[in-house]
Amino acid sequence: MRRISCGARRRRVLLLIAGMALSTAGAASAPARAQATSGEPVTIGAILSVTGPVAGVGQPERDGALLAEKIVNASGGVGGRPLKLVIEDDASNPDTAISKATGLIRSTKVRALIGSSNLPSTVAIGGLTDPIRLPQAALSGIGPAVEAKRTCVVHLLAPQELNARAALTYVRDALKAKRVGLLHDSGYGQAVANSLKAVAPEYGVELAQVEKFEIGATDVSAQAAKVKNAGVDVVVIVASSATPFRNVHDLRIGVPVIGSIASSSYDYVRAMGEAAEGVIFPEFLIAEDPLPHQVKFVATFKEAYGRLPKNYEAAGWDAVNLLAKVLAEAGPEADNAAVCAALRKPLRGVLATYDFSAPDMTGLGLSSFSYSQVKNGSFVRLPLPAR
Amino acid sequence: MTAALFVQALFAGLTNGFVYALVGLGIAVIFKGSRTVNVVQGEFVVIGALVVVGLLDAAGLPYPVAALAGIVGGLLLGSFTEVAFIRPLIRRRAGEDALLLVSIGLAVAMSAAVLYVAGRGSYLLPAVGGNAVVNLAGATVRVHALFLIASGAALVLGLAWFFRHTMLGLSMMAAAMEPDGATVTGIDTERMRTLTFALGGALGAAAGILVAPLTEVNYQMGLALTLKGFAAAVLGGLANPLGAVAGGILIAMVEAFGIVFIASGYKNVFAMSVLILVMVLLPNGLLGRRARAGG
Repeated sequence: MRRISCGARRRRVLLLIAGMALSTAGAASAPARAQATSGEPVTIGAILSVTGPVAGVGQPERDGALLAEKIVNASGGVGGRPLKLVIEDDASNPDTAISKATGLIRSTKVRALIGSSNLPSTVAIGGLTDPIRLPQAALSGIGPAVEAKRTCVVHLLAPQELNARAALTYVRDALKAKRVGLLHDSGYGQAVANSLKAVAPEYGVELAQVEKFEIGATDVSAQAAKVKNAGVDVVVIVASSATPFRNVHDLRIGVPVIGSIASSSYDYVRAMGEAAEGVIFPEFLIAEDPLPHQVKFVATFKEAYGRLPKNYEAAGWDAVNLLAKVLAEAGPEADNAAVCAALRKPLRGVLATYDFSAPDMTGLGLSSFSYSQVKNGSFVRLPLPAR
Repeated sequence: MTAALFVQALFAGLTNGFVYALVGLGIAVIFKGSRTVNVVQGEFVVIGALVVVGLLDAAGLPYPVAALAGIVGGLLLGSFTEVAFIRPLIRRRAGEDALLLVSIGLAVAMSAAVLYVAGRGSYLLPAVGGNAVVNLAGATVRVHALFLIASGAALVLGLAWFFRHTMLGLSMMAAAMEPDGATVTGIDTERMRTLTFALGGALGAAAGILVAPLTEVNYQMGLALTLKGFAAAVLGGLANPLGAVAGGILIAMVEAFGIVFIASGYKNVFAMSVLILVMVLLPNGLLGRRARAGG
C-alpha cells in the first residue's frame, strides 16, 4: 500500500476543500448545469448479469444505469438527496442473485431494487422483494404465473409472447409471408419459440421448420440447412449469438431474416459481419433515428460513452430514472408499500411508455415496437407494417 | 433426406469434427506427456485466436505473420503453464487430482484474464477465400471450412509423422511412457513434459486461428471447447493422441446426422449416447488398445 506523508495529506485535504468550495460556487452560479444535493443518500440496489452467459445484456444495462445515476445527481438527486446506486453482479446465476439481493436488502438497506438481467434471477429475487413490498424494476419480461401475483415487481422489457407477436406481425403484414423457418437457442430463444408456436396460427403463419441449438453453439449449419430445405419464405432467428445469422447467410437461402432484441446490439451485429446486412429487428430504440422522446438520451449517452446506445442501455437508464422519480414523489419517509403503490401507474421511459398498473406489470403493447434493418452496420428505421 | 442435406451434414460434421479433434489432440498430447487432464486447452484456443485478432487490428501485421505469432504465443503459453504451475506440483509429487484441480483453477483464471484484456465482445478473423462458398451436390460450403478440414488433416498427419519419425517426438513418447527408463537413456523428462505443453498450446492456438473465421471467439467459450475436446480425446482413447481425431470426427458426425435425420433438440443426446456406448464396449477408447500395445 502506498503511504502518504502528513504534509502531503494536509495538502490533499486543503485541495479537496478548495475544490468543494469552487464546485459549490460553480453550482450556485450555474443552476441549469448542475443542482447540489445534500443529506443522506437514497440507495437503490441493482442485480445485473455483468458476467456469465447473459453478460451481453447485463453490461449495457450497467452502462445505462450508471449514466442515469450521474445525471439524476447532477439534476438535484432524489428530492434534493444524492442518489447512490449499488450494483452487484449475479454472474447470470439465480443462486448468486439471491445472496447478492439479500445483502442489498438487509445490509445496504436499499429503497428499491433493479434487476435482474435474466428471467430466472428476476423470479428468484422477486421472492425476497415481494413479501416486504420492496419495489423491484426487473430488466426482463414477465415470466412464470407466480410473477403476476408479485405486484411490486414491475418489468421494463416485453413478455416473450409480445416479442413473438412483434415478429409475426412483421412476417404477416410487411413481408406477406406464410411459411416461417425458426432457428432458436435453448435459453431465451426457447422461451420465445414456445410463444411463437402458440400464437403463429392466429397470424395465419406456419412454422414450417423449427430447429434448436445450444447456447454458445459454434456451428448450426446443419440446422440452417434443414430450414433451407423446408422451402421457407422467411427465417426467424431467436438467439443471443451471431453464429446462426452467419450460418444462414452462408447457405444463401435468399429470404428475409428477422432477428430478436437479444441479438440487436452493435457487438452482435459486428460479429455477424456481412451476414448482418438486411437483417430485420423488432426492437425499441434505433439510435441512428430515435423517436422524439429518445433523442436526449441518445445524445447524452453518446457524449458520455462515445458510442450509440441500444435497447438494454436504455432499459438500465429507465430503471434508475423511473425509480428515482417515484422515490422522490413518495417522499423520504414513505415506506416500501407506499413507494410500490406510487410505482404502479403509467410512466414515460426512453425505451417505451410503460403502464406498471397493467396485469403484466409492463403495459407494453405492439405499438411500443419499432422495426429496424441493418444497412452497412447501422440500423435503419423501417415503416411500421400496415394491415 | 435429400442429397444436398446429406452433403451439408457431412461437411458440418467434418468441420466441427476437426475443431473438436484439434482441441482433443492437444488434451491427449498433454495427458500422454504429463498425466494431466489439461482443462486449460480451450483457453489456449481462445487466446491463440485473440492474439491474432490483436496483431491484425493493433499492429497491422500481415495475416500469415500474425497467425504464426499466434501459434508461437500458444506455444509460449503452454510452456509457461507447465513451468509455472505443473512442474512445481509434480516435483512435490502431487497426485492427478491435485493437477486436475489446478488445471480447472487456471482455466477460470485465464478466462477472467481474457475478459479483462479483451472484454466481453466477440471477435472474428478474416476467412480464407473471404465469404466465398462452393456448391457441392446442392450443399453450400464455405471455402474456409474446406481450408479448415484440409489444415486439420495436414496437422494430424504432421503430428503422426513427428511422433513416429523424429528423435524429439520419439523422446517425448518415451519420457511419457516410461519416465525412469527414458531418464536412464539420457532423456530430460522435465524438458520433454514442457515440450508436450508447448505442443498442446500451439495446437490449441492453431485450432483457434482456424475456427475464428467461422464462428466468433469470446472469453467464455474456452470451457465448452475443452469439454468437446475432452469427449473427443476420451472417445478416441486418451492414451493415443491420434485417437482424438477419430473421436472428434465421430462425435461431430453423430451430431450433424442426428440433427438432419432426427431432431436438433436431441443433438447432445445422440452424441453422448454414442460416447457411452463406445466406452462400455471399448473402455480404452476407439484407438486405445493400439496405444497400449505401443502404437
